[in-house]
Amino acid sequence: VPVAIEAFGDAALRIAMPAGTHASRLLDALRTVAGVVDAVVAERHAVVTFEPGLPPSGVSEAVERAAVAANPFRTPEEHVVSVVYDGEDLAAVAARVGLSTADVVKLHVAPSYDVVAVGFLPGFAYLRGLDARLVTPRRSTPRSRVPPCAVAVAGPYTGVYPLASPGGWNLIGTATGFTPFSPSSGATLALGDRVRFVESGGRGAP
Amino acid sequence: VIEVVAVAGVVLVQDGGRPGRMHEGVPPGGPLVPELLARANAAVSNRPGEAGLEIFGSVTLAARRGLELAADDGVSRRLATGDTWRLACGRSRVRYAAVRGAIAVPEVLGGRGTLLVAGLGGHEGRVLRAGDLLPVGDVTEHRAAAIPIPSADESIQIVPGPDGKRFGAAALDVLLGSEYRVSARSDRVGLRLVGPALDRADGDDGLSAPMVRGAIQVPSCGEPIVLGPDHPTMGGYPVIATVVTSSIGALMLRAPGSVVRFARVAFTPFVTKARGGGI
Repeated sequence: VPVAIEAFGDAALRIAMPAGTHASRLLDALRTVAGVVDAVVAERHAVVTFEPGLPPSGVSEAVERAAVAANPFRTPEEHVVSVVYDGEDLAAVAARVGLSTADVVKLHVAPSYDVVAVGFLPGFAYLRGLDARLVTPRRSTPRSRVPPCAVAVAGPYTGVYPLASPGGWNLIGTATGFTPFSPSSGATLALGDRVRFVESGGRGAP
Repeated sequence: VIEVVAVAGVVLVQDGGRPGRMHEGVPPGGPLVPELLARANAAVSNRPGEAGLEIFGSVTLAARRGLELAADDGVSRRLATGDTWRLACGRSRVRYAAVRGAIAVPEVLGGRGTLLVAGLGGHEGRVLRAGDLLPVGDVTEHRAAAIPIPSADESIQIVPGPDGKRFGAAALDVLLGSEYRVSARSDRVGLRLVGPALDRADGDDGLSAPMVRGAIQVPSCGEPIVLGPDHPTMGGYPVIATVVTSSIGALMLRAPGSVVRFARVAFTPFVTKARGGGI
């Protein structure tokens, strides 16, 4: 498999992910290459960082190895997250997609979502698997402060904000009893994990 | 123990960073201007990346017992119990202070530096305030070579890409041929530049990609943002070029309003191959 790798400054390489690669497999393969300081795998690209001017040998071999692996790196962990569907944008999302808020909730709790990337904020996981009927654009004006544990949708993604931060996704609820990021142990959701949401009642409930 | 007597602006505990956590969304961290923290540390026989103070404004410190302090001017001074010492930025964007033995705040996720976006590390995960008490570690002896102060006038060296195709044909020439100025809306997350807009060839497709410190992101308004040590680990804007490591300090130390010029890197950082086998 030809592997496309390009310079990203003098201390990083960017890799175009070969089709069909398990992201968790690639992350593990890249992190174990001697000389790699950090590795991040997203949906289209992966990046490794290293000491300036000293690209590790073995990066493309690691990519090739991951690309032919039939299975993910490990059995995906399943997380069940309780949500109070009380988000400030729930009504606006429902209106935009032409459904009742109860139907938005029903469609949001139905799938099992895949963690396809972790980043933006510590512990922020991009979740794929959103019902096509719930796909909505980001807010035209991002909020200057999204509260921690806000459950949001934007484009084909859903996710849980780990920390109070600015954000442009549409808020549909609040995760309860779930800690996306902790300073002692880091991120809770890892690449390849699966997430299901369950409704814990609240204003958004039918 | 050091007592923080007075603070103006933002003062943070920072160290060499928090490597190996970017896949969890944790940015690399580290000093905004690594050379200046290393200079302050060297003056008190610390290693280059040991925890010191990063100062945007000014700070007054008092010794609760005798200790040795240095600023990034490389001059150390002894403080007896009760002595105070003030360090102010003046016209500099940022300055550093180090104490012999280093600031011994707890290590969190592999680093002692403050990550404000997550409220972790440093002193209680926040900016310092008057009355804070900072622990000082055991004295080590580390002899470091002299580290020069990065130049505030030199051209900033960049490697083009990796998103060159997502820009108009002239965008890189505009970046290389224009004068930019540092915006006051700059912080440890990113340094914003004011100057000629860089023409994008596409919209934002919504797919985020991994980012690195020094990446020059261009939002749809066309004005570049150079990512700093606390940058988001992923971003959706295309990257026209990336600042090389040896120019990061020389860029990040510039105060708002300072002139920035870019130059294509004068060396080949390394050879990359489009096919497997070489790297």
